[in-house]
Amino acid sequence: MPDHTSNGMQCNEFELLLSDALDGVLSGSGLDRFQAHSKTCKVCGPLLAEAEAGRNWLKGLTEVEPPASLVNNILASTTGVDTQRLRATVRSPQPRISWWEHEQASLLEPIWATVRQPRFAMSFGMAFFALSVALTVAGVKPADLRQISLRPSAIRHTYYATQARVVHYYENVRIVYEVESRVREIKRNVAPAEPGPRQSRPAIQKDKNDTTQQPEQKQERNYSQTDNHLILASAPLGTSVIDWSNPDPSNPDLPVVSVTTYRRFV
Amino acid sequence: MEDVQVVAMLVRRCIAGDAAAWEEIVQTYNRRIYNICYRFAGSADDAQDLTQEVFIKMYRTLSSYDHAKGAFVTWVTTITRNLLVDHFRKTKQDRLTDSMDTAASDHEDVQPLSEQIPDHSAPPDAQVRSREVGETVHAALAKLSPELREAVILRDLQDMDYREIATVLKVPEGTVKSRINRGRAELARLLQRTYRQVM
Ligand SMILES: [Zn+2]
Repeated sequence: MPDHTSNGMQCNEFELLLSDALDGVLSGSGLDRFQAHSKTCKVCGPLLAEAEAGRNWLKGLTEVEPPASLVNNILASTTGVDTQRLRATVRSPQPRISWWEHEQASLLEPIWATVRQPRFAMSFGMAFFALSVALTVAGVKPADLRQISLRPSAIRHTYYATQARVVHYYENVRIVYEVESRVREIKRNVAPAEPGPRQSRPAIQKDKNDTTQQPEQKQERNYSQTDNHLILASAPLGTSVIDWSNPDPSNPDLPVVSVTTYRRFV
Repeated sequence: MEDVQVVAMLVRRCIAGDAAAWEEIVQTYNRRIYNICYRFAGSADDAQDLTQEVFIKMYRTLSSYDHAKGAFVTWVTTITRNLLVDHFRKTKQDRLTDSMDTAASDHEDVQPLSEQIPDHSAPPDAQVRSREVGETVHAALAKLSPELREAVILRDLQDMDYREIATVLKVPEGTVKSRINRGRAELARLLQRTYRQVM
């Protein structure tokens, strides 16, 4: 480029300012001197026009779309795995397998290792046994477990039904004990009408005493063996309670009343 | 242009062997690198090969990237530019053995460039015309000397600032500005000649 001065600006200075002028960042006296030089200099004037035109041509170029296979090829040539395989083996199974396995490895495995120790295994065995006994007592049979529905409404229903049974059972047991205590009470009330204590009774009455005590012993045996008996409590409950509230002292055999309680709930 | 922290994290994940992080880098920068290669090398096939080479080099040298020394995009562009220079030297050597044709000879450029100007007897619609103009400018760009070509590509097509370009090209900012001016002017002269012939 010829190095001559025009309007107080040299051509090399003009060229240095050219890009700034096209970027629009040139202002003030610098811009004035730049424009003045471009109008008078036979070299720099056309240079400005060409540079501006060239820039406009280039700005008109749009970005081209890379081939669809490019990313795939890059990944294959770098990691050695193509995108499809990468997505299949790394991405999609990652949330499923890695999440669960990670949880298992980090949380469950140490616990599981502890559980597998013999003493803990024994404790858990006992706990399971206790639970199964509790469930049996509550009237839950293994056969029922198979039919358990885990729908929230079903669980709610099961919960309330079980609660009702337990309360019912408790009430029944209470009634049985009540009946039992009433029987003892009646026995005590009946006893004074009879001859005094056995040891104070005369020897001649021994046979009679033995016979009168026979039903009582039988009674006692009955109540002590309630586990094996079906004690009817719930059905005749009303009448029996009323009857027991006003016992007939003349009938000592009255306590032998069969009371049914539905110990087996189902 | 880029979130330094995000990119630094992405690079760290890559170095640690995170395939997903590497894929993210590839997804983010492949378009840019492909475009630089395409505009510089001229052909789509060369651009595809070169882009792959750039990523292979990036993959191998990722641990050498220091975000304190500059933006990741500048580092990526520098790798791209260095590979393009190597590619140009190789192909120039090939071309010299084939013929005496060189990229810098203005006069011989006019003819092949004008051959790419479409026949205007049947006026195409604006979109087709725009595409044809684009192809003509692209062909003219390939006729610029590599120094001028890379300067205008980084400035006018990739919108990099002068300092970034100076870092990539390893020349002073004044030289960058001078090359950009000359590159633009040269391109305009090539296109003027071409269109004067056709129209
Ligand atoms: Zn001048």
